[in-house]
Amino acid sequence: MEFRLPELGEDAGSLAKVTFWYVSAGDAIEKDQPIVEMMTDKATFDVESPVRGRIAEILVKEDETAAVGDVLCAIEPAES
Amino acid sequence: MPDALMRVADGSGARRPLSRLGPRPAWLTRRVRAVCAPEGSDRRSSPVQELLDGLRVNTVCRSAKCPNIAECHGRRTATFMVLGDRCTRDCRFCAVAHGRPAPPEADEPSRVAEAARRLGLEHAVVTSVTRDDLPDGGAEHFAATVRAIRGHACARAEVLVPDFQGRAWCVRTVVESGCEVFAHNVETVPRLYETVRPGAGYERSLAVLAQAAHAGGGRLVVKSGLMVGLGEEAREVEAVMRDLLSAGCRMLTLGQYLSPGAAHVPVSEYVTPERFAEYAAFARRMGFAAVAAGPFVRSSYRASEMWDLARAWRGRNGRDVANGVPPA
Repeated sequence: MEFRLPELGEDAGSLAKVTFWYVSAGDAIEKDQPIVEMMTDKATFDVESPVRGRIAEILVKEDETAAVGDVLCAIEPAES
Repeated sequence: MPDALMRVADGSGARRPLSRLGPRPAWLTRRVRAVCAPEGSDRRSSPVQELLDGLRVNTVCRSAKCPNIAECHGRRTATFMVLGDRCTRDCRFCAVAHGRPAPPEADEPSRVAEAARRLGLEHAVVTSVTRDDLPDGGAEHFAATVRAIRGHACARAEVLVPDFQGRAWCVRTVVESGCEVFAHNVETVPRLYETVRPGAGYERSLAVLAQAAHAGGGRLVVKSGLMVGLGEEAREVEAVMRDLLSAGCRMLTLGQYLSPGAAHVPVSEYVTPERFAEYAAFARRMGFAAVAAGPFVRSSYRASEMWDLARAWRGRNGRDVANGVPPA
């Protein structure tokens, strides 16, 4: 599954910055766990996972920017 | 708990992003849920945004870069913004683009009403850019949108209007459309108007609220809002609350000002959640029927719940919220 950046209030063309990954590739994650911190001009966001699973790959590194809908990381959802 | 989480949870704040005021306080971190999509799917925005885009309906949520957008879209709500996405004023707090707007689109009210119907809104909020270029400031367009929402979507309508340059007949046009809530924000304390809201006037904004309260009689609820963290003092905020009550305003919102970028007024202070709670308690004691105060409160944040609060107030007090007479 792809874990995509939700709307943080940035309009098209402006970007949010990844400020901190709480997890690394290979980590198990719980549903509702914050996995990445993002920053926009107006606020800071803890982006949480909608599913339980494992981080397969991180695609946007710290200090890099992303637009709404960009894939931040890949997740392997847990069985069941 | 992973080490990384503890580093944030231990209160050191070491990983918090910096702003001009130093690290943003923890209460300005918002939790949002990621969008999970199968690999290769083309879903980039929320179902609500897709619906709005499909109807070419603009929202202030997006134009003002509102940090609540994920929460509100998650609740299947949004605040519609009519009359284009370019504003004829250039307020120094606001992220909405400044420029020469396009002529109003005659079918916009029905598109907005259709969006309200498809979203299943019980309470629809409509705002606009300021249109100093139009003879009526857009008042008739607001009125048409309210009528469309109430008729087509069977929803309550709340308007958040500009000051119409103080023209009372424009205010009456909007009120007579049948909206349930009439909002106009004073935005800040009078001392800061020159730097924050040039082109507007504190007394003029109070007069707009008073005109609406008068025109609406007991039927209409009048609402206003302030941003805090711009350098105002608590006693100035309290003085504004008194002025608002005297004008007939009965609903109040208070939220943290967050600067949309380097070209805008910087944040002067991060107001604590405790201070917001004090402001709210003060406003309720003073006689406001519904108060929302907190770092991420915005004018139309959970507007439907504020309406419910005002209804409950009426039940408790046995009189109309909007009787135009300030409580003793």
